[in-house]
Amino acid sequence: MRDKKPSFPKPLPSTHLLGTGTPMCAGCGGLQVLHEIYDLLGPKTVFVNAAGCLTLLAVYPFTPFRGGWLYTAMAAAPAGAQGVRDALDILVRQGRLPPEENLEVVALTGDGAAYGMGLSATSSAIERGLDFLYLCYDNEGYGNTGQQYSEATPHAARTATSGGPRGFMGYKKDLFAIWAAHRPAYAATVAGAEMLDLARKAEKAKSLRGPRLILALAPCPTGWDFDPQDTVEIGRLAVKTGIWPLKEYVDGRVVHTKIPRPRLPVEEYLKRQGRFAHLFEPVRQEELLKEIQAQVDAYWARVES
Amino acid sequence: MQVTAPGRALLTGNAAAAWAARLARVDYVPAFPITPQTEIIETLSAWIDAGELDCRLVTMESEHAMVAAAGAAAVTGVRVFTATSSQGLLYALEMLYAVAGWRAPLVLVNVSRGLAAPITLEPDHNDVLAARDTGFLQIHCATCQEVLDSVLMAFRLAEDPRVRLPVIVNQDGFYLSFTREPVELPDPEAAAGFVGPFDPGTLRFRASAPLSQGVAVLGGGPYSYFRYEMHLAAQAALSVYDEIAAEFAATFGRRPPPVEAYRLEDADYAFYMTGSFATRAKEAVDCLRQAGWRIGLVRPRLLRPLPEARLRELLAGKKAVAVIDQNLSLGKGGVLYAELASALYGHRGAPLLVSFIGGLGGRDLPPEEFFAMAGVLKAAAHEGAAPPPRLLFTAEELEEVHRLRAIAGAERARLKESP
Amino acid sequence: MYRLRFHGRGGQGIKTAGRILGTAFFRAGFEVQDAPRYGAERRGAPIFAYVRAARRPIGERGIIRRPDLVAVADDTLVTIPAAGVLAGVAPHTVLLLSSSTPAEVWRERLQLPGLLLTLPLGEVWEAAAVRFLGATLAGAAARLVGVIPREALVEAIAEELAHLGPSLTTENQVRALAAFDLLAEHAGCVSEGPEPSAAAYEPPRWVELAPEGADLAAPAIHLPATSEAVPTGLWRVVRPLVDRSRCRRCAWICSTLCPDGTISVDGDGFPVIDYQHCKGCLVCAASCPARAIRVVPERQAARVG
Repeated sequence: MRDKKPSFPKPLPSTHLLGTGTPMCAGCGGLQVLHEIYDLLGPKTVFVNAAGCLTLLAVYPFTPFRGGWLYTAMAAAPAGAQGVRDALDILVRQGRLPPEENLEVVALTGDGAAYGMGLSATSSAIERGLDFLYLCYDNEGYGNTGQQYSEATPHAARTATSGGPRGFMGYKKDLFAIWAAHRPAYAATVAGAEMLDLARKAEKAKSLRGPRLILALAPCPTGWDFDPQDTVEIGRLAVKTGIWPLKEYVDGRVVHTKIPRPRLPVEEYLKRQGRFAHLFEPVRQEELLKEIQAQVDAYWARVES
Repeated sequence: MQVTAPGRALLTGNAAAAWAARLARVDYVPAFPITPQTEIIETLSAWIDAGELDCRLVTMESEHAMVAAAGAAAVTGVRVFTATSSQGLLYALEMLYAVAGWRAPLVLVNVSRGLAAPITLEPDHNDVLAARDTGFLQIHCATCQEVLDSVLMAFRLAEDPRVRLPVIVNQDGFYLSFTREPVELPDPEAAAGFVGPFDPGTLRFRASAPLSQGVAVLGGGPYSYFRYEMHLAAQAALSVYDEIAAEFAATFGRRPPPVEAYRLEDADYAFYMTGSFATRAKEAVDCLRQAGWRIGLVRPRLLRPLPEARLRELLAGKKAVAVIDQNLSLGKGGVLYAELASALYGHRGAPLLVSFIGGLGGRDLPPEEFFAMAGVLKAAAHEGAAPPPRLLFTAEELEEVHRLRAIAGAERARLKESP
Repeated sequence: MYRLRFHGRGGQGIKTAGRILGTAFFRAGFEVQDAPRYGAERRGAPIFAYVRAARRPIGERGIIRRPDLVAVADDTLVTIPAAGVLAGVAPHTVLLLSSSTPAEVWRERLQLPGLLLTLPLGEVWEAAAVRFLGATLAGAAARLVGVIPREALVEAIAEELAHLGPSLTTENQVRALAAFDLLAEHAGCVSEGPEPSAAAYEPPRWVELAPEGADLAAPAIHLPATSEAVPTGLWRVVRPLVDRSRCRRCAWICSTLCPDGTISVDGDGFPVIDYQHCKGCLVCAASCPARAIRVVPERQAARVG
């Protein structure tokens, strides 16, 4: 079955661009996505970062980056990206920076900044037509502080601040739809486990100009409570159960890039993670499980109609 | 009125700030409107639209974003100017600390305005003093001319490799921002020559030079080192300022000092204050001198770094000094008073300091109050002890507040609540 | 005053050990201070916790520079300078290692002036042992200081681990008491170290800091991928091994999915794992379609290697 070579968008790198030796947890889904995308974007990038787990990628004097990196503040990554992009454009236009020295500007934040504190800055950067790529590693909670619920936490998930019998009472915000409503140049959801889909989308994003989003599900062994080796499996199950739809917004249309058929029951995804264990033990919370399944079913019914 | 440099023209403080940014040939202005600053960015925007200024102005969605973009652009390698006021400066406070830590050399004009609550549009200095510890240097202006001159000098100061810290140039809302007075506009070529081209040094992003900026540190040792180096750089700005001021004087014939001393040589007493009302203090000094007083004025223009040695030198041997704070650190008192006291403490010939709180929320400081403060100084010197801090606030003002309070129904509400 | 330090990796119960011992001291009538210390690192990375106990109120704060006891959950940390296990070890310091390597071997290896004991708890990577490591170490430490009664230890475990439920609490108590009893002959071997003396001390070597210019004295990193100097391979307790006879040389799967980017591809198309940096998450082994990546305990692998 593996005899057929996968159609990878470009020759595989024999080594990877993102430096090793970072202090991220073993099995970090966010780091996985970043290193996959960095290989595709190349070193002519400057990452503008907001407070989150990946802030600690660069701790003096160690950095895994081969291009640029600027840590701003939790709410400020898109604004920092604006300043860097504008300055680079000014320098190129004035002839003070040779075009080959130019950089792609990438805002890099977790869900806390992307869905919450930094959303005003994001909305405004899109509105201004800023030429940047926004990479969000979504681990569905404030992971860097011990996984409290964020605006990206899914319904019923237990977090450090939603430890009740029903878990988190809110619902995950639809950041992709919020971006799409802004009519950006591009927006896509990806999962690190779905490498080919991710690679194609990263290449697509790289080929376009203007505001672009790559919203990556980042399975988090520490925050979601599963064994680090299951990071890929959890990501695949998120896609196969339909909980994390892979899609893209381009030219005013939303297209699903992988429609799971048949869709696995959401339980297959939920039961693998400690944050949902209370749905199964000590007693099975049928009502909650049904609600989660019904929401996923309703989503796909809309997609397929 | 169409104004063109060079020459003498009637300009508001806001226009002077905009002119200085134009003369410094800034590349980039991230902006956000707020009264009483908005004219500055409107003026720059109009020049850009008319093709008179080659610069990119971007209106951001907040001052937090504005300062983030300003710092990010400066460390990418362009000359950056921005402006704000009051609530805006406070909204940006997190980023003020951050971009100073990046050693981003930009210039920000703050148009001072009192802070909410209660909200007001009128000036005092609590806003800019909230930024006192951020790593931004601070130059406080008393005239529209000073606003223009200080912005030009601020770019030199911020970009000097021995300093490389952002600078706030402060002017009072209304009393400078909206007030026209004659301003000498320098020759554009001379101004550009004085400010010079922007040199980003090694802290800038480009493909051939990997750079991770603003990274985290672990442990108190490296943190102490980086923070104290900022402090040393800020202190180094004192001597760098003198060099720049000398060059400025040679080019333009004016020499804005780090500390202004007015009629001080033979004085027994002095007023000590910052900002535009200092010109009123000078008028009061003249009146008092006519009445036989030996009194002068000390006005620090540089508040960060604070020229402590110079202040000690100027005030040694004086009998008493009235420190007039147009700000209030609630639960402590005037900020300038505390800072001057710490600069003088334990030094030979330190004068008595008398603390006055005045000018909050744009409250006037009429000449009679300066005269009366002089009287307090003389009494304190005679007693050999300073009286408690005094709020400059009159019986008439209290009556007026009572009248307003009656309309607001405060007493009636209290009566209703009583059993 | 007693000054005690526990060292281990995130997830090995180090914070728990500190708290149990702190509470046991407290119940035995001591004034107590206990705290965990985290760096930027995450699960699997070295951490420590410390406990102070005295018969008077404790004013001393911060990390313990001159420990009376150093108890180590994971003996692979001992020789890692960055883990700081041996920092400040003085002639009176007792070193307690959870290790299957005999104490004589360690004494020979480390050549420390003080007493060195081992606690053979089995391999740390065994999940069962890890679950009780914190309580076990606390029990051992309690015996070595010799001033904590059995009941205080039992009650402290009940108090600190109440959230685990009665059966796990009991199991922890059993393990802790086993360690407590095992070390009976060494009861009281930990002594209270010397107090700081204002009459005779080594003065700090204060320097006059000079301004060094922003180019040098800013928290900025001017080289690419300096993080590769950080040997995160030391986090690993299990090792993935590529079985070349089974490997189908698809390479892109394990190499792309490794979150840390530690798998490169050699000229023949085989994956090569960088053990200097591999954190042992085992995403590669779990994702290999040919099941060509074996997992062996790090100690065994080290012996093989």
